[in-house]
Amino acid sequence: MTDLSLATSGAGPMITGTPSPRRRQARRIVLRLAVYGLPALLILVPLATFLVYSFWITVDGQVVQTFTLANYIDFLAKPVYRGVFVGTLWLASIVAVTSLIFGYIIAYLVWRLEGRLRYLLLLLSVIPLAMNYIVKIYAMRSILGYNGFLNWLLVTVGLLEAPSKQFIFNQTAVMITMAVIYLPYAILPIFLSLERISPSLMAASADLGGRPGQTFRNVVLPLSLPGSIVGALFVMVLALGDYLTPQMVGGNQGFTFGRAIWSQFGMAFNWPFGAALAVVLLLSVVLIILAAAVISRHARVK
Amino acid sequence: MHRRDFMTGAAAGLAGLLVAAATVPAMAAAKELRVLTWEGYADEPWVKAFEARTGAKVKITYTGSVDEIFAKMTASKGEDFDVIAIETSSYKRLTQEKLIQPVDLSKIPNAANLLPAFRDVSAIMFDDKPYAVPFAWGSIPLIYDKAVFAQPPASWNVLWDEQYKGRIIAMDDANNAIVTTALLLGYKDPFNLTDAQFAEIKAKLLDQKRFVSTYYAGFDDGVSIFAQGGVDLMMSMGEPQAPMLRKKGVDVGLTIPQEGAIGWIDCWAISAGARDPELAHAWIDAMLEKQVGTYISEKTGYGNTTNAEANAAIGLTYADKLVFLQAPESFARRIDLWNEIKATPVE
Repeated sequence: MTDLSLATSGAGPMITGTPSPRRRQARRIVLRLAVYGLPALLILVPLATFLVYSFWITVDGQVVQTFTLANYIDFLAKPVYRGVFVGTLWLASIVAVTSLIFGYIIAYLVWRLEGRLRYLLLLLSVIPLAMNYIVKIYAMRSILGYNGFLNWLLVTVGLLEAPSKQFIFNQTAVMITMAVIYLPYAILPIFLSLERISPSLMAASADLGGRPGQTFRNVVLPLSLPGSIVGALFVMVLALGDYLTPQMVGGNQGFTFGRAIWSQFGMAFNWPFGAALAVVLLLSVVLIILAAAVISRHARVK
Repeated sequence: MHRRDFMTGAAAGLAGLLVAAATVPAMAAAKELRVLTWEGYADEPWVKAFEARTGAKVKITYTGSVDEIFAKMTASKGEDFDVIAIETSSYKRLTQEKLIQPVDLSKIPNAANLLPAFRDVSAIMFDDKPYAVPFAWGSIPLIYDKAVFAQPPASWNVLWDEQYKGRIIAMDDANNAIVTTALLLGYKDPFNLTDAQFAEIKAKLLDQKRFVSTYYAGFDDGVSIFAQGGVDLMMSMGEPQAPMLRKKGVDVGLTIPQEGAIGWIDCWAISAGARDPELAHAWIDAMLEKQVGTYISEKTGYGNTTNAEANAAIGLTYADKLVFLQAPESFARRIDLWNEIKATPVE
């Protein structure tokens, strides 16, 4: 707030007056503070707040400001939260691997195309990014649902006698929906890592008698894999925090760590415990991003 | 019709205001009433009428959650608001944190309008003093597909019936699930459970999980899943879901099973930091006008606390069968239990 007022009062005279170099210097510092300081403030203050909260504790529905590790011990001691955390990590990994496989296939096919068609298809494959996320979940639900498109199709074709409930409100539905929603996030980085491979390398491989299969195995795949894994890790981070998709299509198996965090707020009023769970989630996300950074740096050196 | 009533009232009030303004001009100018409430509870007709009658300016702040109300109230120990509307189970915490003050019913003549079921609500009494006045109410009922049930199901036990396996949806809410189960099990005090009762409820809810297709997350979500087909029964989030479903072409019925059901009441309370308690009492008095209650029922589909006919017109005749929410022994414990149930895999 103070930063904001400084910025506006500093920016005002800059347009109108003819200031001395020293004042200009001061103004530049103020402006820089506003440009860098404000976003830092807006990101770091909330983060710091919930980090601090996670060391407090709730007693009789009131937050007591002490320093305690009780919330973290609770997380480790209560099998529910530990179990849900592991389950959510597992789910996110599966979504990441699925996105990696399908994303790679799609990105590779698009990349092999020539000319305009290539970018047109790339554009088409990432268009879902422009769609609202909730709308996509509802769309998936109307495809997989009891009276959904899939059931209609199967009944019409005659493969099913009556609509089946096997496609919705279970783990499979969660994985299908998440994979569909997050696929575009995998396609783009994979395509970019393919795009970076110099055509001369493949030409060299062919000149040396490498068959297409060999070229792919020995040249394309090793060169594009690190970038692709980074893309998959990115998907994993997104899937890790997504509690809405499991909630909406996962039925009685749709409980994830994000929802467990959510449940500590509202009527529960256990913000400190919720904050501690959020810190655990944040740390795992940071670890995944660090892994991605290491992989991409390693790839660049090569 | 009623709007016109309000307009006449407003005009009359305005005339009164002119007279009042002529006699005590200084007082009329300074008054302001700061209201913290949910959308729909401070609508133009009665806000305008109140402003005209008292000469005060009403400043409304809408809230989206109970959390927000507490955050706003605790931030200034209630100094920022004069009156708030909140649901009965929050009053224990509000009084503990000294965020509200007792209501003086002698300053609220319209309290005589209150229907019998709302005259003596224990959840808002502390030290024998009333801390709020009931305003709007609803329930956590059972909604069923009339094509499947010719008669409304008599008992909550229908949600444990193998026959409807995979055709039941329930709301994802710890306290509502636990209290409703406690009612089914016949517990006297569903808000103060013993360890043995907790264990029994856990077993019961785990037993139900096999039959539940999904735990839905909100009003619209529940309606959308039900309307998609393949659902016969729903532990509802509230009355408005029934008309929403009928609008989507699903012929549903709504019932309060024999064990009773959860009821909630939104009540008006006066903030501990109210600038002008007299004016705050006047607001609550105005909220208990029968026209306001009628409007609430007609517009929101919730029950009101003053006009029995308006309640009957929308089918809310069962206030006496409801167990009104109180603050439970420990929300945290109930959330943990519910999370355990949701995290436990079943067949």
